[in-house]
Amino acid sequence: MEPPADHLHHHQEPHSSVCAKCGGPAAFPTPPPPSDTPSYIPIRFPAVNLPPSPTNTRETIMRTPVPHAEKVEPLTLPHQFAAPSKRIRSPDDLATFHSSPSFRNFLGFVVSLSESTKSRKLSDPCHVSPAVETLVSILQKLTDFVDEIPPAPQTARYGNVSYRVWHERMSTEAEAFMLMFLPPQLRDATVEIVPYFTDGFGNALRIDYGTGHETNFAAWLYCLAKLGVVSEEDYQALVARVFFKYMELMRKLQITYNLEPAGSHGVWGLDDYHFLPYIFGSSQLIDHKYMKPKSIHNEDILENFCNEYLYLSCVVFVKKVKKGLFAEHSPMLDDISGVPNWKKVNSGLLKMYKVEVLEKVPIMQHFLFGSIIKWPE
Amino acid sequence: MSDLDRQIEQLKRCEPLTETEVKALCLKAMEILVEESNVQRVDAPVTICGDIHGQFYDMKELLRVGGDCPKTNYLFLGDFVDRGFYSVETFLLLLALKVRYPDRITLIRGNHESRQITQVYGFYDECLRKYGSVNVWRYCTDIFDYLSLSALIENRIFCVHGGLSPAISTLDQIRVIDRKQEVPHDGAMCDLLWSDPEDIVDGWGLSPRGAGFLFGGSVVSSFNHTNNIDYICRAHQLVMEGYKWMFNSQIVTVWSAPNYCYRCGNVAAILELNENLESEFRVFEAAPQESRGAPAKKPPPDYFL
Repeated sequence: MEPPADHLHHHQEPHSSVCAKCGGPAAFPTPPPPSDTPSYIPIRFPAVNLPPSPTNTRETIMRTPVPHAEKVEPLTLPHQFAAPSKRIRSPDDLATFHSSPSFRNFLGFVVSLSESTKSRKLSDPCHVSPAVETLVSILQKLTDFVDEIPPAPQTARYGNVSYRVWHERMSTEAEAFMLMFLPPQLRDATVEIVPYFTDGFGNALRIDYGTGHETNFAAWLYCLAKLGVVSEEDYQALVARVFFKYMELMRKLQITYNLEPAGSHGVWGLDDYHFLPYIFGSSQLIDHKYMKPKSIHNEDILENFCNEYLYLSCVVFVKKVKKGLFAEHSPMLDDISGVPNWKKVNSGLLKMYKVEVLEKVPIMQHFLFGSIIKWPE
Repeated sequence: MSDLDRQIEQLKRCEPLTETEVKALCLKAMEILVEESNVQRVDAPVTICGDIHGQFYDMKELLRVGGDCPKTNYLFLGDFVDRGFYSVETFLLLLALKVRYPDRITLIRGNHESRQITQVYGFYDECLRKYGSVNVWRYCTDIFDYLSLSALIENRIFCVHGGLSPAISTLDQIRVIDRKQEVPHDGAMCDLLWSDPEDIVDGWGLSPRGAGFLFGGSVVSSFNHTNNIDYICRAHQLVMEGYKWMFNSQIVTVWSAPNYCYRCGNVAAILELNENLESEFRVFEAAPQESRGAPAKKPPPDYFL
């Protein structure tokens, strides 16, 4: 059988070189020069159909700066909204996005949310605008849907097909939800923000959920900031009220419908499903009088404070759903518990979010671009 | 005791090898694997195992239930690595057994035995965390390119990690694939490692996994008829009961990672075939806590230094 066309293409890719005269591919590509003292000799050199080398090596991890907070400037009106679409297909596309202002501003927004909740409990008083109240009520409605759509009886597969019914209902209502808080002059924005919203709760076909979906939910919140629906004074409530409610809903979905972890690093990831609650939660604990990163091993502390701190509530949830030694099923959380203080945990998590989530093609290929989060042309 | 026997004993205690030892072991394994066919012949009796995913202590439980190698003849259907805590130790133990007893253990390639997939699903991170460099990941992923794509037991039972491909109707078409490469994004080799049987599909359907295809009962009937085989045995999908027959016993899924990801609550199974190809499933649960060693304490990850 002839090898597929794709396969031939990949054969040529690793050593393609260009003819100096016509610019076409040279007939005899030159292999890359061998280094003098190779620390590693490949068994077959070069390996056929070799994918790009990993980017998250020790050196890049150490050199990644801690992301900074950025102000979100609201759009000027009138504005032409557009249905968002996927644009990232390759590491090059991702690099283009990463060097763009829209990327820095989105990541800066996440850092601002994290800073807004620094050293604060979830129940601390904060400004709750009518828009924020509406956002919470929407998430409450979605939580109620779960009670109305019980899981189907099945044994063979893990993910429960009733999740698709829930997802369908959420998608059908999504536009009406947006109109609950969008002022009349921004009604056109639904075409752009609904796709971020509906993608923020997992994938109906695969019955899975992961950090990519969580990122789209954060992108939806970012769009609301760009639209002026929420402003900086709402950030603390966005974390303590809206994101908290979102976490409640996601855990309920995960447990009720056995959502599969999407693109999970297994035990080597931070968590099967989530990343942001660890960022926000570690910020909450910065400068806490007696709770240290190692306090996650103290059952009394977890029990007494998991309702006030997102980080602790995540650890409690992981311990509830996973069986076995914590150090085996959650080695990252276990190793992070050895970091001396929460400030270091928070800055490390922000770096890790950038490298392990926002710089990964398999995750970011699903990220959406429209007129608010612009694809850099 | 030879070096190799000593390494096998060490790996059975879940103690990893040094970087230099891994490299030497991979070179030896390569010499053996390169000679194998894409449709590797396997004799009965044999015990077939599905996905392991780095669940080392559960694989030890599997070996306890199924019997030690070489006393038991094993066929592993791939997905040795990713997601679990002990992918390095799991894969190296299987590879060391392969080098020591090449005729008593057959390893075929799963979709996770790939450079790209292991960067996303944990094996890469594990090597980086356990060795501080990615050399061991490189040696292992290079050896993945040499793993066979399928096995044929006594010319009657076709074994593959994922399933069938629209580009393949005969076993001879599998035999001529140049398999010594990273798993491509599409084409026959990709499909064998990625496809799934699906009840509601007639013929071929798009796979929600983004690679491979869904295939229905008529596809399986026609493949089995054309190639004169009794049934297909594959892994690749978590089944809560450990195994699952489909399409009137023309294809069976075997899953060997109990309580998958420490969370799913499923049991695992292996399929024992005797010399007359009579089948018996052995179902087992996750290894009990007291038989699992504790992971070594590690410094905080590089992000937090």
